[in-house]
Amino acid sequence: MDSKRTRGHGINTIQINQAREIHAQTVRARDPRAQPRPVLHAPAINAPAPNRHICNNPNNPACAHCSAVIIPAPKATLPLEDTPSISIEDWTITTRKKPILNSKELDEWDRTLGGLTMPEMIFGNSFVKIENKKHDWCLEFNALDALKAVKVEDSGIRVSYANKWIKSKQAQQKSSELAESSLQIGQHYDWTYTTKYKGTIKSGTHNFTQDNSTALPLDKLSRPDPILFYDDMILFEDELADNGISVVNVKIRVMNERALLLSRFFLRVDGVLFRVYDTRVYVEFDENRVLREYKEHEADYKYVLSKNSGRHSRDPKAILRDSNWVAQQLPLVKRECEVLQF
Amino acid sequence: MKVDETIALLRQGKQVSEETVYTLCLRSQELLMSEANVTRVDTPVTICGDIHGQLHDLLTLFDKSGGVENNKYVFLGDFVDRGFYSLESFLLLLCYKLRYPDRITMIRGNHETRQITKVYGFYDEIVRKYGNSNVWRYCCEVFDYLSLGAVVDGQVFCVHGGLSPNVTTVNQIRAIERKQEVPHEGAMCDLLWSDPDEVSTWSLSPRGAGFLFGRNEVDQFLHCNGLELIARAHQLVMEGYKEMFGGGLVTVWSAPNYCYRCGNVAAVLRIEDGLSREYMIFEAVQAQDDVGNAIIPTKKPQMDYFL
Repeated sequence: MDSKRTRGHGINTIQINQAREIHAQTVRARDPRAQPRPVLHAPAINAPAPNRHICNNPNNPACAHCSAVIIPAPKATLPLEDTPSISIEDWTITTRKKPILNSKELDEWDRTLGGLTMPEMIFGNSFVKIENKKHDWCLEFNALDALKAVKVEDSGIRVSYANKWIKSKQAQQKSSELAESSLQIGQHYDWTYTTKYKGTIKSGTHNFTQDNSTALPLDKLSRPDPILFYDDMILFEDELADNGISVVNVKIRVMNERALLLSRFFLRVDGVLFRVYDTRVYVEFDENRVLREYKEHEADYKYVLSKNSGRHSRDPKAILRDSNWVAQQLPLVKRECEVLQF
Repeated sequence: MKVDETIALLRQGKQVSEETVYTLCLRSQELLMSEANVTRVDTPVTICGDIHGQLHDLLTLFDKSGGVENNKYVFLGDFVDRGFYSLESFLLLLCYKLRYPDRITMIRGNHETRQITKVYGFYDEIVRKYGNSNVWRYCCEVFDYLSLGAVVDGQVFCVHGGLSPNVTTVNQIRAIERKQEVPHEGAMCDLLWSDPDEVSTWSLSPRGAGFLFGRNEVDQFLHCNGLELIARAHQLVMEGYKEMFGGGLVTVWSAPNYCYRCGNVAAVLRIEDGLSREYMIFEAVQAQDDVGNAIIPTKKPQMDYFL
């Protein structure tokens, strides 16, 4: 046996790099733009913006714009870290999606978040990060910090049939040995997991300045500029023992000149109420400007249900699961806007 | 209706006719009607947790645990909702039960109700597949006859959710009038809904309805009934199973990569003749059709110009 061939990790690394090279060559070879094309007409005057973005992680399907990288793959096939990332000028946007927490991690979180019974699904190793390398500034959205913002006290909210339930138990109590303490809430925490989470500033001394008169430039954001990078993930979710849903979802889209992130807390307690708390982060790359808008929407269940009277679908409640539709129906309770200029 | 042919169709995830479903449900009801609220089962047996319409993972479960031809199974409920093949999963289990009545025990889960299936996917699936809700109604009729629990060798109590303050002995469960939609309160509701937690006594969930129970309640129930273990499902566990309270209670979860996105593994619990416990862990499969295309849509994010 030639001992030189099985020596340590160096060779494996080289092999993996070679495999990556070959894969990248295959991807390039299949990109039609890499092939010489006949020129059919003179170049347009409004030439598209040059490709200035850098796709940072080769472990993904090809980017439609530069054939390098884009949208996160649903599942990594190699044991490589699946953290797609894109850089434009000084800005880098990175996302990571991982499975739900395991028991060991859950126990650790339990201690950290003392008093909160954990939601059913926590994607605790997933995140979305917006960084400005030059100014050493980083804003991250993650589940742990979102849950830290959940109150460990009585939310005052009860499921729709709570009264009926308690009354029937109290009636039973008189005639049986059911202990009085069993009708007391053992541990108070906000079981709706309502969170006013606006992201975590992970590094940098720069801070947002409140300026509620500022608005997001909807005209710019409505333009169908090509999306260079897109991701959509859930940070945590709980179905409230089938009494509705509580979920924090984060979406991000990056265009050549700007990026928009939406972190949405959506709550539906069946027969009781709806809440939509939205945090939008808008970055204009060339101006080095960040806008953070926070909005709270809330209304009771009946009000939202009545808005749906015009529809005659077989399942009238299906629409109540669509957070976009619900958000449009709910009155705005609170709005704040902050600006950060480097 | 030929059971074996229906089984073959269902295993391929193919649609069975409305008439077949009707006959199947009717025959299942007749069979379930004669069963007690708490079924007696002998070892060796394999105890399985939530399935949630993940047909291909259910097939893996049978493959890896030896198959119904040679083994007995107890299913702890939640056959439907969430996954894309709730109907096929539920009907497959019914067919197996008709074909091998003594080898399959089906316990009712909190999702086997009209109200919950309307919200969490089963109803939508039926309307999508059949264009009407008849098949959903036939299945709901069967739900009302599913048993509430099982006892393995007089030692292991199987239930979907947990205990109830109204129930101190297994015999009290035998006296419940079970053939109905699951009520919002009472012993039947608690058995399907309650959760174990680190509490010192029975306490009310902060939601304002439903009970939490702790180690004391479990110890007491085990002692009163001469039991060793409570095997329940109902809660998602990343590792497929979780023992609590010094091994007096176990949560078994049998839907790997739950909702096609949680990344968890699944488990079943094998109880051997000497009551020894063995957990069999399995992972989600990437289901493929005849020509090798993935048939479960991957959750690749759909780009949109959200504002």
